[in-house]
Amino acid sequence: MTPVLSIQNYTLDYISSAGPVRVLHDISLEIGPGEVLGLVGESGSGKSSLAWALMRHLPENAREVAGSLRLGDIDLQRLSPGELTRIRGRRLGMVFQDPSTSLNPTLTIGRQITEALIQHRGLKQRDASSLAINLLGHVDLNNPAAIMRRYPPEISGGEKQRVIIATAFGCRPDVILFDEPTTALDVITGARILALFARLRRETGVAALYISHDLALVTRVADRVAVLERGRLVEQAPAADIFRAPRHANTRALVDAVPRPERRLVHDKPGDQVVLAASDIEVRYGSGGLFRDAPPPATKKIGLEVRGGEILGLVGESGSGKSSMARALTGLARFSGKITFDAHEIHRMRDMNAAYRRDVQIIFQHPDASLNPRHRIDEILSRPLKLYGGHLADIPRLLEQVRLPASYANRWPHQLSGGEKQRIAIARAFAARPKLVICDEITAPLDVSVQAQIIELLLALREETGTAFLFITHDLNLIRQIAHRIAVMRRGEMVDLLPVEDFDADHVHPYTRELMAASPVPVG
Amino acid sequence: MTELFIRLMRKPQGFVGIVLLALIAAACLFGPALAPYAPEKIDFLGRFRAPGWQNWLGADQFGRDILSRLMVGARSTVPLAFIATFVGSAAGATIGVGSAYLGGRTDEAIMRTIDAVMAIPGLLMALLLVSTLGNGAGNAVIAIAVAFAPGMARVTRSAALNVRNQDYVKAAIARGEGAPWIIFREMLPNVMAPIVIESTIRVSFAVMLFATLSFLGVGAQPPASEWGLMVADARQYMHQAPWGLIAPSAAIALTAIAFNLVGDGLRDALNPKDER
Amino acid sequence: MSLAWFARRLMLMVYTVIVVSMLVFAITQILPADAAQSLLGENATPEVLAALRTRLGLGDPAWLQYGRWARHIFTGDFGISMRTSLPVGPEMLAALSRSLLLAVSAILVTLAIAVPLGVVAALRQGRLTDTGVSLIAYLGVSLPEFVTATLLALLLADTWHWLPATGYVSPLEDFGDGIRHLALPVLTVSLILVAHVMRMMRSETLDVLKSDYIRAARLKGLPERTVVFRHALRNALLPVVTIIALDVGYLLGGIIVIEEIFAIPGIGRALMVAITTRDLPSIQAGALIMAATYAVTNTLADMAYAFLDPRIRYD
Repeated sequence: MTPVLSIQNYTLDYISSAGPVRVLHDISLEIGPGEVLGLVGESGSGKSSLAWALMRHLPENAREVAGSLRLGDIDLQRLSPGELTRIRGRRLGMVFQDPSTSLNPTLTIGRQITEALIQHRGLKQRDASSLAINLLGHVDLNNPAAIMRRYPPEISGGEKQRVIIATAFGCRPDVILFDEPTTALDVITGARILALFARLRRETGVAALYISHDLALVTRVADRVAVLERGRLVEQAPAADIFRAPRHANTRALVDAVPRPERRLVHDKPGDQVVLAASDIEVRYGSGGLFRDAPPPATKKIGLEVRGGEILGLVGESGSGKSSMARALTGLARFSGKITFDAHEIHRMRDMNAAYRRDVQIIFQHPDASLNPRHRIDEILSRPLKLYGGHLADIPRLLEQVRLPASYANRWPHQLSGGEKQRIAIARAFAARPKLVICDEITAPLDVSVQAQIIELLLALREETGTAFLFITHDLNLIRQIAHRIAVMRRGEMVDLLPVEDFDADHVHPYTRELMAASPVPVG
Repeated sequence: MTELFIRLMRKPQGFVGIVLLALIAAACLFGPALAPYAPEKIDFLGRFRAPGWQNWLGADQFGRDILSRLMVGARSTVPLAFIATFVGSAAGATIGVGSAYLGGRTDEAIMRTIDAVMAIPGLLMALLLVSTLGNGAGNAVIAIAVAFAPGMARVTRSAALNVRNQDYVKAAIARGEGAPWIIFREMLPNVMAPIVIESTIRVSFAVMLFATLSFLGVGAQPPASEWGLMVADARQYMHQAPWGLIAPSAAIALTAIAFNLVGDGLRDALNPKDER
Repeated sequence: MSLAWFARRLMLMVYTVIVVSMLVFAITQILPADAAQSLLGENATPEVLAALRTRLGLGDPAWLQYGRWARHIFTGDFGISMRTSLPVGPEMLAALSRSLLLAVSAILVTLAIAVPLGVVAALRQGRLTDTGVSLIAYLGVSLPEFVTATLLALLLADTWHWLPATGYVSPLEDFGDGIRHLALPVLTVSLILVAHVMRMMRSETLDVLKSDYIRAARLKGLPERTVVFRHALRNALLPVVTIIALDVGYLLGGIIVIEEIFAIPGIGRALMVAITTRDLPSIQAGALIMAATYAVTNTLADMAYAFLDPRIRYD
């Protein structure tokens, strides 16, 4: 049987100012009819480049050095622009990563679906419209007829992605490329999209290439999984096997790095003394203007306590208020309520004295943005030392503590990788031996293997210094590995605060149960 | 700095711009020394002489050599435009960064007022000020500086606002750094790039505005060989001696283009992503 | 777009006009150490100076003077010209109408030329058309209005004798001759505006063409023509409304010079005359009217844009 998609010995270079850079080496993959192939790789693996190559949308400086790309028996590389337009959408569909930028904000949803249906299924406007309404209903959208008349900015991210999926499936292609379709969505919304995808796939028998950086997620949707590492195909296996018995060293490392709740990394118990206690914290952004109402508070009178040496996890989706808590506790957002630290009561930002600022540190999510691009590393690390009493001679020691060479002191942030920058941010936070470090989604933008290294580093530092952590994340599996207690927030309220041992389906709030269901533990 | 210069020269715009600027700077510095004739030297026999070996760019209605007047006139036009831009930018930048740092309603109030002030076109503002202060090059400089300040304030404020929302500024606030440190060491170095680029491009506007004011009779006064003034003079005689019109026009245009090119080149060269 | 949004926008316009009026008044009447002296010059006798001071009420505190002036303006009384002894208001407004004729014609010509050229340049980015267009735009932006005007006059009026160099004839009286006299000024203003607008349209269109949703539309299998006309152009043309507003801003700056050079009796010329003859009420009226025109145009443009762009409607 002819494979639906066949990539044979494909090699791709990008020409940069420093000469050609090989992005894909001799890749050979096949997707049979109705099969779902998962393509997994971390950043820089070349997985997105493969998708663009298949869609024939490579950048100007790309050079296809060798190999062939076939859709059925059509050689994709030999297509004329006219033939290419006829293939795209009709035989080869695509669903993109960010639904909010993939739809034209000034055209109605209806228009954007029907134009594809008219183009590829030869329908008249009226038939296309009714088919579109059908499709939208089929992807579980409420009131499809109303949605047809709306504009993209009026509907949510999850709804937009459903529209795009409906359009892609509606054109009845042979194969659809999915480029990380749930990465830009919340965990629960993403899980629902995956369920939708599974159902549609069963119903239509469309083949798919599902690209992602998340190995655990891909094994849930794919029949077979291929692992890319720096442009090379290191392993291909049925999804069930790849987690249980990874063969290649890189795959094994990838599998090991995936957080699993049952693999506990922290085995001690926290102390009894309360380091920081917060009560009735309400954070408000913006005030009402002359004609506007004030926006609702980001957190609704939240309270929590952190004990000495404890790791308290704070979990929630976007808009839950977890970052707002972090900002309130570090004096970055206006709040009302009370914070007690070291027998000192704090009601306002102004009450936070130098000792508080030294003992309570924060590490931000985006390492690119948290280091001043115009400061060298040594200047960045010198600030906490200067502010809280320390010696500049300590800088090499700080670097060593986060496993970076002392020579990095002379570098600029843009010369470091994302993981290295985050280590500098960690070094900066630990420079003055704080009592509490707040980590605001610090591993979210990182590859899963880098994330594992950062977590290991944090735990090692905790061993050395006895620091407590308030660890904010949306990844429930990750936090269950390291936290002593876990708090769950939703829309500004705390719905759960439990010791990690009690974190199972029986004891938790229904919302937490939904969160747990949305990120199941991979089998293996 | 040298690294910046090299990167600037690597792009064609930067290269051409710098070369032109060098020429203009040479004219400003050495104009009077290099000019073939004295700019006020009247020669009735040579009135309206066409460009040739005696007067490379021709002669005006008094027989004065146009090339010499151009070279000396560079001093009357360019440095003053530069000063006006510098003062206007400094004032505007202070307002802009301050407004961004204060944030909230104060920032909004300041910006709405700046917007309102900008409803008066630059030339009109300059004319009003000159009519109050009196004609002359010095007052024209002040007038242009005041006319430019609001525009610079806007640009600076949006750049500063961008910077203020970055995590590294928040990290500094969370650390308990003082306001002066945050403004001058965290924010300003990252705002300098847009300020410098915008200012450089504005010098070209200043040159044009200054020439316009002189053209209208309220800027530089005769017998200065300011370029705008030269165009105004040559207008009456454009039939007999069109070169009297074309030469100073070209000079103004080339100067404006030079600063525009350098500004554009700086925009590419100062992009930190390319610094590797 | 709620009523509140409209109300806010209108209040902003009012605020703008008030601030402008204060600024104009301050510069022309409060700032000069002795406005009477600067109006009459060095040779004025003390008696004449004193008489003028009383007449203009210059002895009163600043806010009182402003209040008086503002109250009059509000009722439409712009004062009496010191040069012609006629009411300033009607004359200025008539001048404004002539300027508006020039402005509107120039804007229409500009849009007709610059918008298509800018879009085409973006569609053919990097190729000859684009380079040519960008070069011309660059040049246009680097020439002061008086240079462009003078050179065009030199070419079209003086050398080739196609058009009259200066003067104004009302098209209402003699359409053909009126057009002939307006042609050079409109052409000059258009050339300058075309340079600005072409650049803006090009960069807007480029931004749209590089966006993710255009890429998605292409990869959806839509033919290039559909992608360009239905998706790209629609979004690239939206800012035309804003561009018109900005045009008016550029125009008002340059119109003073253009009317001066071509002897068009519009508001720019009236202002220049007022400034050179130190006719205080006329200066104040002219400046205020100019700035108010800009504020009103801007507000209308904002409202039109909000009406057209579905994104803004859900503020």
